[in-house]
Amino acid sequence: MKTIGKRIAASAVAAMLVGAALPTAASAEVLKFVSWQKDEKGVGDWWASVIKEWEAKHPGSTIEWTKVERSAYADTMTTLFAGGTPPDIVHLASFEFQAFANNGWLEDLGPWVEKAGLNLDGWSGQETCKFQDTTVCIMMLYYGTIFGYNEEILKQAGVAVPKTYAEFLAAAKATTKDLNGDGIVDQFGTGHETKGGGGQYIAEMASYLFDVGARFTNAEGEVTIDTPEMVEGLTRWKTIVKENLTPRDLSAGEVRKLFADGKIALKVDGPWIYSIMQQGAAKDKLKLASVPFDPPLGGSSNVLAMPSEISDEKKQLVWDFIAIATSDKFQTSFATLAASTPPSPRADLTEAKAQIPHFDLMVESQKAAAEHKIDRIPVGLEVQFNEFSKMIQEEAQRMIIEDLDPAAVAKTMQEKAAALQ
Amino acid sequence: MSRRFLDLARPSRRHWLGYLLLLPAIALVALIIVYPLFVSLDLSFQKIGMATLNAPRKPFTLDNYRKLFSSPDFWNACWVTIKLVVVVSAACFAVGLGTALLVNNRFKGRTLARLFVALPWAVPEVIAVVIFAWIFDSSFGLMNWLFIKLGVTSQMINWFSEPTAAFWVVAITMIWKGYPFVSIMTLAGLQSIPEDFYNAAKVDGASALQRFWYITIPVLMPVLGVTLVLVMLWVFRDFSIIKVLTDGGPLKATQTLSIMTYDQAFGFFNMGYASAIGIVTLVLCVIASLLMLGRKSQAMY
Repeated sequence: MKTIGKRIAASAVAAMLVGAALPTAASAEVLKFVSWQKDEKGVGDWWASVIKEWEAKHPGSTIEWTKVERSAYADTMTTLFAGGTPPDIVHLASFEFQAFANNGWLEDLGPWVEKAGLNLDGWSGQETCKFQDTTVCIMMLYYGTIFGYNEEILKQAGVAVPKTYAEFLAAAKATTKDLNGDGIVDQFGTGHETKGGGGQYIAEMASYLFDVGARFTNAEGEVTIDTPEMVEGLTRWKTIVKENLTPRDLSAGEVRKLFADGKIALKVDGPWIYSIMQQGAAKDKLKLASVPFDPPLGGSSNVLAMPSEISDEKKQLVWDFIAIATSDKFQTSFATLAASTPPSPRADLTEAKAQIPHFDLMVESQKAAAEHKIDRIPVGLEVQFNEFSKMIQEEAQRMIIEDLDPAAVAKTMQEKAAALQ
Repeated sequence: MSRRFLDLARPSRRHWLGYLLLLPAIALVALIIVYPLFVSLDLSFQKIGMATLNAPRKPFTLDNYRKLFSSPDFWNACWVTIKLVVVVSAACFAVGLGTALLVNNRFKGRTLARLFVALPWAVPEVIAVVIFAWIFDSSFGLMNWLFIKLGVTSQMINWFSEPTAAFWVVAITMIWKGYPFVSIMTLAGLQSIPEDFYNAAKVDGASALQRFWYITIPVLMPVLGVTLVLVMLWVFRDFSIIKVLTDGGPLKATQTLSIMTYDQAFGFFNMGYASAIGIVTLVLCVIASLLMLGRKSQAMY
C-alpha cells in the first residue's frame, strides 16, 4: 500500500513537472536572423557569442542564423519585408536602413530603450539611427579609418611615412612603379575601389574631400557641394585616379588583397584591414599609423533593428537580443573578438589594447571622426543615399573619363543632389 | 449518369483528359509568371517606393510612365539594349553558324571539336564572367599584357573605366557565352537536311557557295528563326553578366533595361517606377519576338 502511495505521489510529481514544462515548450520560439557577417572571422565569432548567450537565457528557444551575401543583401531583405516575412532580428547596413524605416517597416526602439534604461549617450554613430525623430535602430559599428603602409616599399623609394595629404601624394607618386620594365605598372602608390557601388565609391573618395573641409551637406541638410573646398577635394581624387596611382576597376576586396601582398604602398581603410594584412604575403613589411588626413574618415557601418509587424512576444525576444549585444560585457568582447572599436563608451578596452597593438590608433581615429560628425551618409540625403551616391560616382567618373574641370563637376553635383531632396 | 459524364474515354470528351493533364502546368505558370506579371502591372500604375503585398493599394497614376518616357536614362538604356541585342545576336550567329558548319564536316578529332564548341554553354554564367573580368582586368589582365607585348597599345587600357571599352567587354563575354547555343541548334538542323538535296544540286553543277545559299540556309531557316528569337530574348533579359562585370557603368554605357529595372527596384527602392520599366521591356520583347517569328515563317520553303 505504501509502495502504491509512493508511486502515485511520484506520478503526480512527474505529471506536475511535465505540466510545468509544457508551457516552456509551447513558448519556445525560433527567431530568424539574417546577416552578411556570418562567416566573417572576428565579427562573425562575436555574433555567434551573442546568439549563444541569448539561447542560454531563453532555454528551448533558438536563433536561426542565415548568411546572405552583401551583394544580394538589399534585394533579399526588401523581398522578405515586402512578402511579409521579415527576419525577426534585423541587421542592416547604415546606408540602407532609412528606406526600410521610411516604409514603416522598423519598430520605434525609443520606448524599448527607455524601458530597459539603455544609456545611449556617447554611443558612436547613434545619431544616424534617428529617423524622423524616432530611434529606429542601434548602431553596431562606427569606425575610424587607419593607415596601413608598406615599410619596405617606402624605404626603397626614399620617402617617410606621410603625415599630410601633400606627403601622401608625393609618396604615392614615388612608389607607383613598373618594376620589371615591361610597360605595365605592377606596384601602386595607393589603392581604391573605382567600380562597384556608389556607397563604396563615396567612401573611397571621402578622405580627400573631408581633409580639405568639403562636405556634401551641412548640419541642416542643405546641399553644400558647390564650394571651393569640394572643388579642391575633387581635384585631389582626380589626380589619384587619373595619374594611375591606384589600380583601376578592382573591387575593395581585391585592392585590400593587393596591399596585403605587397603590391600597394599606402592604404587608408577601416579596422578590418588589420586582419587582411595578417593573411597577406607581405605581412611582415606592413605597418599601421595615423591617417594622413584630418579629420580621418569615419563612418557608421551596420545597425540592429526590429520589424514593426511581428508579435509583441517576439519583439520582447528581439529586444533581449539587442540588450545582450549592447551590454557592457558584449561591447567589451566586441573589441577583442572583432578587433574593432565598439560604439559603446562603457566598453572596457583594456584587454583589446593589450591584445591588439594598434588598438589606440583605431580608438583615436574613431573619436576624431565622431567629434567632427564625419560620415559618408550626408545629413538630409539619408533616404536617397543610394541614388545620391550613384550620382556622385557617375559625375566623378565623368570628370575622370572626360577630363572635366572639377569646378564644373561640383556645380553639376550640387544641382543633381538638390534635385534629389 | 455522373459516371457517364466523367467518362473521359468517350471520343467526344477525350480532349478533356488533355486539359486535365495540362492543368497542373497551367496552374504553376499562372502562379509563378502570370500572377507576378499582374502584380507588376498593378504596381506600375502606383507611386510606390517599397512594395508590400498586403499594403492598401495606392491611387492610380500614370506618373511612372510619364517619368519613364521623359527620362534620358530610359532612352539610353533602350539604345544600349538594342546595340547589345544587335551586336551580340549577329556575332553569335556568325560564330555559331560557322562553327556548326565546321563540326558538321567529317574530320579527325571532330568529337573533340564539337565538345570545345559547346563548352562555353556548359560553363556557368558567373564563372564565365569572373574569367572575363580577369582577362580584361585594367591593371593585371591578360588582354592588356597581350596588347602591350604585341605592340597594339603602349599603355594600359582601362577596360571597365572607358564607356566604349566596357561595352565591348560585355558584348564579347556575351558572344562567348551565347554562340554555342546557336552552334548546337544549327548543327541539329544541319544533320536533318537530306543528303539528296546536295547530291541533286551537285549534279546540276551548283558550287559550294550556291549549295549553302540555296539549300542550307533556306532549310535551316525555321531553326535559325527560333534560335534568333531565343538569343535575342536572352540578350534582352540577361542580367548577371552585366551586373557582375560593369554594374551598368561606366557612365551608363552598359546599362540595359534589365539593369535599370534592378537598380530602380532594389538600389533606389522605386518599385512602381521599376515595374513600369519591366512592363515596357516585356512589351518590347513581345513585339521583337512577333516580328522575328513572322519573318521565319515567310522564309521557309
